[in-house]
Amino acid sequence: MLRRFHLTPIIVLAVAALAGCERRGGCTGPYCGTLIDAAVAEPATLLPPSTEDIVANDIGEQLFLKLADVGMSTNTVGDEDFQPLLAQKWEWDGPLTLVFHLDPRARWQDGQRVTAADVEFTFDAYTDSTVGSPFRPKLHRIASVTQRDSLTAVFRFKEKYPEMFYDAVYHMRVLPAHLLRSVPRDQWRTAPFGRQPVGDGPYRFVRWQAAQSIELVADSTFFLGRPGIRRLIWRITPNLQVAVQQVIAGEADVREQLVTPDNVERARAAQQLSLYPFRGSVYTYLDFNLRASDDTAKPHPIFADRTLRRALSMAVDRASLVKSALGDLGKVPPGPMSELLGIWDPDIRQVPYDSALAARILNGQGWRDHDGDGIRDKDGQPLAFHILVPTSSVLRRQYARLLQEQFRAIGVHVEIDELEPSVVSQRAATGKFDTVILSRQNDPSPSSGIAQSWTRAGFGGSNFGRYYSADFEQLVDRAVTATSRDQARALWRRAMETLNADAPGVFLYALQNVGAVHKRVENVQFRPDSWAALLRTWRIPPDRMIDRDRVER
Amino acid sequence: MTGAWLLRRLVASVAIIFAVVTFIFILIHAAPGKPCAGQSENVDPAVCDQLNRQFGLDRPIPEQYWRYIVALVHGNLGYSVSLRRPVADAIVETIPFTLQLAGAALLLDFLLGLGLGIYQAGRVNRLPDVIIGNATLFIYSLPTFWLALLLLLIFGEKLGWFPVGGASDPVLCAVVDSLYCLKDRIWHLVLPAATLGLVGAAGTARFQRAAMLDVATQDYVRTARAKGLPERRVVLRHQLRNALLSFITRFGLAFPFLLTGAVLIETIFAWPGMGRLAFDAILTRDYSLVTATALVASTMVVGGNLLADILLGLADPRLRVRAGADVEALTA
Repeated sequence: MLRRFHLTPIIVLAVAALAGCERRGGCTGPYCGTLIDAAVAEPATLLPPSTEDIVANDIGEQLFLKLADVGMSTNTVGDEDFQPLLAQKWEWDGPLTLVFHLDPRARWQDGQRVTAADVEFTFDAYTDSTVGSPFRPKLHRIASVTQRDSLTAVFRFKEKYPEMFYDAVYHMRVLPAHLLRSVPRDQWRTAPFGRQPVGDGPYRFVRWQAAQSIELVADSTFFLGRPGIRRLIWRITPNLQVAVQQVIAGEADVREQLVTPDNVERARAAQQLSLYPFRGSVYTYLDFNLRASDDTAKPHPIFADRTLRRALSMAVDRASLVKSALGDLGKVPPGPMSELLGIWDPDIRQVPYDSALAARILNGQGWRDHDGDGIRDKDGQPLAFHILVPTSSVLRRQYARLLQEQFRAIGVHVEIDELEPSVVSQRAATGKFDTVILSRQNDPSPSSGIAQSWTRAGFGGSNFGRYYSADFEQLVDRAVTATSRDQARALWRRAMETLNADAPGVFLYALQNVGAVHKRVENVQFRPDSWAALLRTWRIPPDRMIDRDRVER
Repeated sequence: MTGAWLLRRLVASVAIIFAVVTFIFILIHAAPGKPCAGQSENVDPAVCDQLNRQFGLDRPIPEQYWRYIVALVHGNLGYSVSLRRPVADAIVETIPFTLQLAGAALLLDFLLGLGLGIYQAGRVNRLPDVIIGNATLFIYSLPTFWLALLLLLIFGEKLGWFPVGGASDPVLCAVVDSLYCLKDRIWHLVLPAATLGLVGAAGTARFQRAAMLDVATQDYVRTARAKGLPERRVVLRHQLRNALLSFITRFGLAFPFLLTGAVLIETIFAWPGMGRLAFDAILTRDYSLVTATALVASTMVVGGNLLADILLGLADPRLRVRAGADVEALTA
């Protein structure tokens, strides 16, 4: 009894203290505001050359500037559509020399000036094999970068081509040489700088709480103009569903990709959210392995045969699949490309959907159902194969089942192997598969991505199915080095038609992105290749602010 | 219970932990999939190869194991390939969150489970006992992840009473430095702890009811009643005290349940604990991190069971005598 008498007031006081206290915000005016992004992954590092993580890139956009960047058109040819960032202006000094004049107002966030030495150092780091930057192959046409004076950087190219400017500015974020020069190159991936970066962008790094959040604060002295929102937070969630749930529940303000029609409907029903559709940068396809899965030196018993590949491609009604699985959120890609690419053209010639013709071709090839079990066979060998698909993707697993059914309809037996992503990656990289459903993210330019995934340059790399066509590669080479935009576009079209005719895979869907943003945010612009590229121009008007926008710390 | 018994148990515990670490090390290395590629097939295999070389993952497994054990003996848990930082740092950051979650769940589990078990035992086969018995059976049979999603949907998304994920408000309480932020942490803890705790409490209630009924027919309980002691005193002093032995055993068994449950719950509720760390590490084949989380988890489980054994010995003098006799027999 005595004990209860003493405990009760203590408990009451503790509860009252917890319930009574609150933290009030004091920030007023046009530059307050907090924007929380619901991110679906945590980056490993924020040091730009050492990572291709999407979230790291989104944060990198705020911390480290490029010399210039593509505009909303995402046109990568020539330099007329590019926006200046670190470079105030540029000029061509002959056909192979590009000269950048840095903005003298640009400063690192520790107060040092951004100089041409930083640009020279950056190119050296990005192309150093010890650093092992994933962007290194995209810079192979640049011969050198040097400094003419402290504010002038000179790029020299190995050859003339339409996307010289794009290659010079798009892949590299300029790094602070004075902070990174002393870090051994073989330790860049694990350098402490990557978890506590100092940049020159519109936002400064504040804190990184592992598995929870990464916080940036606006640099009010940013030389290109004060950012509209004072604080940006990437809230790290374990998967897409949790991220979408947080935005719907109002615990986050932005989910840049909703991915599935179900998520879009849920977000649409949330009154505080506005939806923003924009061109997607991902395409998904069923990759045929042209080499035997047990010995890559030998041809695959089914997919090495071009006619058979074409017949199997004809059996897939891609338009119906997109309609049933994605509705308006997807399109049938006219080749290995997302809609982000300027070469996207629905009129590019493709293998048509014609299951009757597919059946006739298979019959003609001797693949018939001799034993009446519903599966075609030839010389005692059934027409059967496996589809490899990662367990992490609900959409791709759904597609695997739909494909299985479509192939079954023409007498082809398909087994689905649903495996962990790391196992799928390993098996794909070592050629241990019949077919695999892959998703690829495009840069705005087809030049590097298509070469890496569909030419011999990608053998041992991203060309898992080992597709090779001399005609296709010649057309790609000519398209990359074409002298005019129209000529390049025509050559890309021919290259795509050549590849489509060979049917090295079935190009299933290209996702259309839909982003969800809290309605209080104004001036929202999603640049299709990088949704966060223009975050510094987003605003939250004072009369629409909510409690978290006014918080002072 | 003697010092020798304790020493023997400690040595056995270390041996178990060592065996677990070895088993996990071999298992994760034998599993298909390699570090680096992780969850994206867009990573160039050449970049992965370079990373694996840098971290020594291209060396023979026995050599990797030997290096790992030598480093472990020196207190080094290795380097995480996926997080690009020392494993120890990641563990130190996440383990407090798992302990908070497990602690809160354990509290709910035992307070609620004990209370319900005692209440049911006092009303055997009457309506409250039947209702609670069926309710606890229902909850106990629910898959934890399903209950988590249900609570999340109802109390997080639909009603908005509790946060749908995370451990704190990232704007107001990036760190817990005030009463307000303590309240915020507790608020975030409610749903994940309730999920783990409710399922545990349902089991504890059923155990406790059975234990209470077991001792209810003992002579000393009958004697206490015959002496005219108030029922409350009979239950709390004589019945419960003796029925606590099964409760302590269950305390030891609760650790593995809480830790394995935490893997799912932390992922569903975006709770930044060691369970989620382990889950991500397994998916990305981050060998050092997987082995280290297994090491910490097995230490906690073995430690929990050791603690339970010690408590049992303290609570029941008969066990103390038996343990001592065992030791004497062994050393004779």
